[in-house]
Amino acid sequence: MISLTGVTKAYTKQSIGLDNIHLHIEAGEFVSIVGQSGSGKTTLVKLLIAEETPSSGNIEIGGWDITNIKRKEIPTLRRQIGVIFQDFKLLPKKTVRENVAFALQVAGESHKRIKDIVPRVLHIVGLGHKMERYPNQLSGGEQQRVVIARSLVHRPKILVADEPTGNLDTLNTKEIIEILKKINQFGTTVVLVTHNREVVNHLKKRVIAIDEGKILSDEKHGKYRL
Amino acid sequence: MLGFLRIIKFTFQNIGRNVGLSVMTVLILVLMLLSVNSLITVRALTQEASDAVKEQIDISVYFDQEVKDEEVAEVEAYVNSFEEVKEVTLFSRDEVLTEFTDKHKDNQDIISSIEELGENPFGPRMTIKTHETEDYATITEALSVPEYDQVIEAKTFADTEKTIQKIQLITSQVERFSALLSGLFGAIAFIVIFNTIRIAIYTQRTEISIKKLVGATDWFVKGPYMLSSLFFSLLSVIISFALTLLAIRFLDPYIMSIFNDPHFLTNYYFSHILVLAGIELGAVLILTILSSSLAMRKYLRV
Repeated sequence: MISLTGVTKAYTKQSIGLDNIHLHIEAGEFVSIVGQSGSGKTTLVKLLIAEETPSSGNIEIGGWDITNIKRKEIPTLRRQIGVIFQDFKLLPKKTVRENVAFALQVAGESHKRIKDIVPRVLHIVGLGHKMERYPNQLSGGEQQRVVIARSLVHRPKILVADEPTGNLDTLNTKEIIEILKKINQFGTTVVLVTHNREVVNHLKKRVIAIDEGKILSDEKHGKYRL
Repeated sequence: MLGFLRIIKFTFQNIGRNVGLSVMTVLILVLMLLSVNSLITVRALTQEASDAVKEQIDISVYFDQEVKDEEVAEVEAYVNSFEEVKEVTLFSRDEVLTEFTDKHKDNQDIISSIEELGENPFGPRMTIKTHETEDYATITEALSVPEYDQVIEAKTFADTEKTIQKIQLITSQVERFSALLSGLFGAIAFIVIFNTIRIAIYTQRTEISIKKLVGATDWFVKGPYMLSSLFFSLLSVIISFALTLLAIRFLDPYIMSIFNDPHFLTNYYFSHILVLAGIELGAVLILTILSSSLAMRKYLRV
């Protein structure tokens, strides 16, 4: 599903984001990528959504070589990967419903289908009653649930969550992780980037530890070890 | 088609939900266009003033009292043969006398002197107007030939030559100053509009990158900003011309005393409105779209 072969991302000679990474993630896996700040976790996410291109090596997603992806192909890739960000990245001038609908509108979905899907997805994440609110009228946990709804709305095969609980309290963190686990149970590959020890240990899933741009460990049922 | 309709919807949604920013952008565009219109008004007035002064200038050729009609006709034909000449008007001896007596009807001494003479002491008079003031010298020189020494008694151009030169100097300086001012205003308008749009885009940079991250194409993101530029340009041109037309309604009565035309500015604007509005709309539109594109380029690279 996701395959990185000898991937290096160097910003300058001194600043190396990732250094010769070899990584393979199967379809339906739940993988936690752990590491301290500046270890290269976010660089990995940026490479997966083509926000950055690798300096060397190869990246394949679902059999699509995105190493040198063309600029005009990037939107198509992003519509196939759901992404959850630590800072939510919701459109502040759009309502909850409009934020979720936007992900479908950019893909050219019909008005009827959008009208049908969006309320259903928002009900699943427990925000059916707050559809007409603006992001600044929601709590952090609620905003993150909107982001999850947005990332799921076009049924992606891969969900990349970059520090999704970084700005949340314990209760909201648990809720978000439970939602991610459910999404994974329905067959979506989940890549969770985090430095939250408790979350990783609780999941008991595959853990890849990164430090200074290199993979330190890759355990099938791992724990947070750094 | 669906995408385009959504772009239109997002355009008006953006304008409405960023109403403060939209109003500020239109306001600055209107202010810039108003200053451009003020300059256009000043140019129109100076041009009209300069033309009016030029219109007052002519050459008067005074013929000898005993000149024959054929000789006058020959001079008239000769003058008319010059392409620099715009208009030649001939006054007969009687007309010159009537004009003189009318002019001096309140001065009994002059009127009595004329009556005492018992005959018309004036010869015919010819006034000549040229297209350009600098052409008067050519015509005067052309008339200063020995063949006409006997028939032409006097020419007035020599008396007004210095005045004409002064007027030419003033009008050319006014035109140069006006062009310089236009260039300066144009540059200021360019810088202000360019930066207004850049700031407007800058305040929405996060939204632009978010839209890209959720899979929007460049055009889907840029579209609403381009359409907003069109809408803002159109609106600002309409408002600025409405305000200008309103202002000149108040100005026209003051100008009437100078140009003898009660609706000089109103007529000027109405006869040029399509060209002026078209040029201003085109310039503002190009400028806003160019500024938006340049400002967005950086944020679209996500």
